[in-house]
Amino acid sequence: MNENETELKVQALVDGELTGREAEDLHERLESDDGLRELHERLTAMRGLMTGAELPRTLPESGDFHWSQISKAIEREERQAKHMARPASGANWLLRWVLPLAGIACLVLVLSLQQTTMPDLDILLGSDHEIELSEDEIELMTFNTGDDAMSVVWLDYSIDLQQDSLQRWLD
Amino acid sequence: MPEEPAYSSAEEPQLVEWAKAGDMQAFEELVSRHRDRAYVRAYSIMRNESLAVDLSQNAWVKAWQRLEQFHGEASFPTWLSRIVTNLCLDELRRQKRARTDSIEAMEESTGPVENRMEMETLDPIEGLGREELRERIDAALAKLSDKHRTVIVLYEFEQLEYREIAEKMGTSIGTVMSRLFYARKRLASLLKETLKRDGLIE
Repeated sequence: MNENETELKVQALVDGELTGREAEDLHERLESDDGLRELHERLTAMRGLMTGAELPRTLPESGDFHWSQISKAIEREERQAKHMARPASGANWLLRWVLPLAGIACLVLVLSLQQTTMPDLDILLGSDHEIELSEDEIELMTFNTGDDAMSVVWLDYSIDLQQDSLQRWLD
Repeated sequence: MPEEPAYSSAEEPQLVEWAKAGDMQAFEELVSRHRDRAYVRAYSIMRNESLAVDLSQNAWVKAWQRLEQFHGEASFPTWLSRIVTNLCLDELRRQKRARTDSIEAMEESTGPVENRMEMETLDPIEGLGREELRERIDAALAKLSDKHRTVIVLYEFEQLEYREIAEKMGTSIGTVMSRLFYARKRLASLLKETLKRDGLIE
């Protein structure tokens, strides 16, 4: 333990923050170390001087004025809190609900119009299009792994079959 | 017609209960009883009259808003004092952020030199009244840096433990101990200087 740490421990002892075995050890050391004992005495004297040493002061404004400032601030904050909690006014309601809903409606309308004007086979072959196949057109394999507790299902069909099916489906 | 409560003669816990129920007059009575104490604590930390007035006023507003959280574990003035202290620490942090890095670096760099100071002896001072001693201590406190004065106020006046001070100041217990030790040494040195100058000690 360096000198500074020891000094801080002496201070902690004076402040009642050092207890138990550590406090006992330090008390023993104080008996044999003049320097530490002197520091302990000086710190104790300083604590004595500081007890109740906060200088009393009077608020530099009248009590009535001080209270009026406080009550005004309380009223202001309560008004603000109520304003935040109040339901939205007519204009705010329009901005919050009607405009976004109108936007969504427009988007849905545009998408619907696009759907009806694109009977293009390329688009119908897109990856997100569902294709219905009969069971005899599909080869099915399953693979189970006990260790991983996993099942793999493999569906296989030829591209010719898909094209024929699609053609039939489109007809 | 129901009789109005006698606020000025009411016990403090009763006033707190009325205030909790929304009675502003009861709260006004609490303000009237403790406004100076709130101001003193703010002034002790900030050392600025108008800031101390503003911060103690804000503390009362916060106290009104948080009255529900007061359950009487500590006394009402102690609880209020904690609110004042927290607001002062927030203000000091705000001011610190506003300062330039170079000033901060200068302030920190003085630490090791200051730590080599001796702890002055301050024997009981004959012929110096308690009031005069308080004034001299107050003047010496004003000369400490914000961080050293704050740690003294929190420990000696607010009567917080090292751990609580560390939490409030956002630092370690070791730093609190170190700052407190230095602040006491500096305070003792400043007091000795002024007492010597006035011929009160040799």
